[in-house]
Amino acid sequence: MVVDLALSSRAVVPSSKRADAVPIEVRGLNKRFGAVQAVADLDFTVAPGRITGFLGPNGAGKTTTLRILLGLVAASSGTALIGGQRYRDIVDPLRRVGALLEATSFHPARRARDHLRMCALGAHIEVARVDEVLELVGLADSARRRVGGFSLGMRQRLGLAAALLGDPPVLILDEPANGLDPQGIAWLRQFLRYLAVQGHTVLVSSHLLAEMAQTVDDVVIIAGGRVRASGPLSELAGRAHSAMRVRTPEADRLQGLLHAAHWPFRRLSADLVLVEGVTPEQLGPLLARSQIVTYELANESTDLESVFLSLTGPDVDPTGGGLRGGAPR
Amino acid sequence: MIRAVRSELFKLRTSPGPWVVLLAVLAFSALGIVVTFLVASGQHHVRFVAPHTTYRLRRLMGAGFVAGGVWMGAIVGVLSVTGEYRHKLMTESLLVEPRRWKLLIAKAIATALWGLFYGAASLLLGGAMGIPLLVTKGGSLSALFDQAGAVLPGFFAGFALLALFGAGLGALIKNQIAAVVSILAITFIIEPVIDGIVPEAGKWLPFAASASLAGGLVRPAEHTELLALWLAAIVLAAWALVPIVLGYFVTLRRDVT
Repeated sequence: MVVDLALSSRAVVPSSKRADAVPIEVRGLNKRFGAVQAVADLDFTVAPGRITGFLGPNGAGKTTTLRILLGLVAASSGTALIGGQRYRDIVDPLRRVGALLEATSFHPARRARDHLRMCALGAHIEVARVDEVLELVGLADSARRRVGGFSLGMRQRLGLAAALLGDPPVLILDEPANGLDPQGIAWLRQFLRYLAVQGHTVLVSSHLLAEMAQTVDDVVIIAGGRVRASGPLSELAGRAHSAMRVRTPEADRLQGLLHAAHWPFRRLSADLVLVEGVTPEQLGPLLARSQIVTYELANESTDLESVFLSLTGPDVDPTGGGLRGGAPR
Repeated sequence: MIRAVRSELFKLRTSPGPWVVLLAVLAFSALGIVVTFLVASGQHHVRFVAPHTTYRLRRLMGAGFVAGGVWMGAIVGVLSVTGEYRHKLMTESLLVEPRRWKLLIAKAIATALWGLFYGAASLLLGGAMGIPLLVTKGGSLSALFDQAGAVLPGFFAGFALLALFGAGLGALIKNQIAAVVSILAITFIIEPVIDGIVPEAGKWLPFAASASLAGGLVRPAEHTELLALWLAAIVLAAWALVPIVLGYFVTLRRDVT
């Protein structure tokens, strides 16, 4: 399927910055399902004009949080407000908030266009807009097909079309890249960026940090129902650190030198040493000066993914680290 | 609210279930019409004759009702509510209309309107099939039309309110198949059995109550007294509304996960 971004030629989203964009604010949110504490003391803010990634492993409480935000699940305590209002108090919610929750909530016998018309009828949106969003997500050719025959990616596009139907200033998308092909993911990334530039508030959940790292400005990382880190992505990236792996027949001598230089290291095997927190530019000259025979010098830097994994691992201190202070406004 | 109702009507129109139910309503109506013309004659003979007593003329007019078509119509209520759970549509519906009581009222109104539509379809089929049969067999058309005032208000009320009963049952049971089976069980087993064993109790059941409202379609008046019109109206309204209100409090207010 050809995905056409089609943004320049069509006035699908207003070209000026949105004046109606509002933040999403979650304060002291708790949700208990029987004995399970799904969400615990959640606090975060999602700012307009930025893409915020809501990250966490499966079962972290992401979907529960989004469902509370959208009034589908009642919070045990705390608030989840969009522009200072509960979702159920918003007049014409589809025009204020667009949401994509799961790619399965369609009647299989209903045609794609009819699914959107149904939503449009209930939200007082003109039918012309239905065709507009179908074209926008690349489903115009399948508009009259029944959803039962759609692939996961097509359902995801249809869900996205429904979210965009009311041209809302706030978008809440749960795992929107699920089932999309590489072109679809690239398109989604560009599209979300375009919306953020226009001033939209965009909250996107995912369990894949690598994919999100290319898309988001801010992150809220949760695990076990608690916020583990939140702030601009660049701050999280600052946690990533470099390490160099050295293969040498003189590992013992190198060890002594590193001790003397106060560089942290780990002896991986008889001829392998991992030197932490250094760059090749720092380590290379030391090896040369000390005339250490080196067979291999390799970069073992930790990437965002491993930072994410370390933050969301089961044995992590739930109070999180220093990133917490720098919340995304 | 009008929007929400229109959206619900559109939902029903664009899913196959209500159309299958229409076929069932028409099939039962056709059966009801044919049965009205059959009269036992002797032990093993059945004759095909035009109805002429008031009771039988009323049964002809309300044939879709008598034969159980009205219960088939109730299935649309079940589908309207349980379809949301079965296909996980509740999420989308509540995003469009997050005020749940409003969604439920819109659903109830749309369902009742579909019930009226089934009643009209059944009546049209009755006209297309029953009138020629009646004329051919030498029956009196004017005698038939004389019964309209006694039959039709209750006939339509029955179609609309039993559809609501179905919606309430769906809201309580949630599982589509279980709810449809329950409707069929009430139609073909529970009501007939109770009515057969304890007619005094049977007349309070929804089908008999709606029949009371529709000119006593289920029993010749001389055999068992039915409910008075006003009482039948109250009883039927209770049958229609109590399950849906209970359904709202028991299931519809719950978390949608």
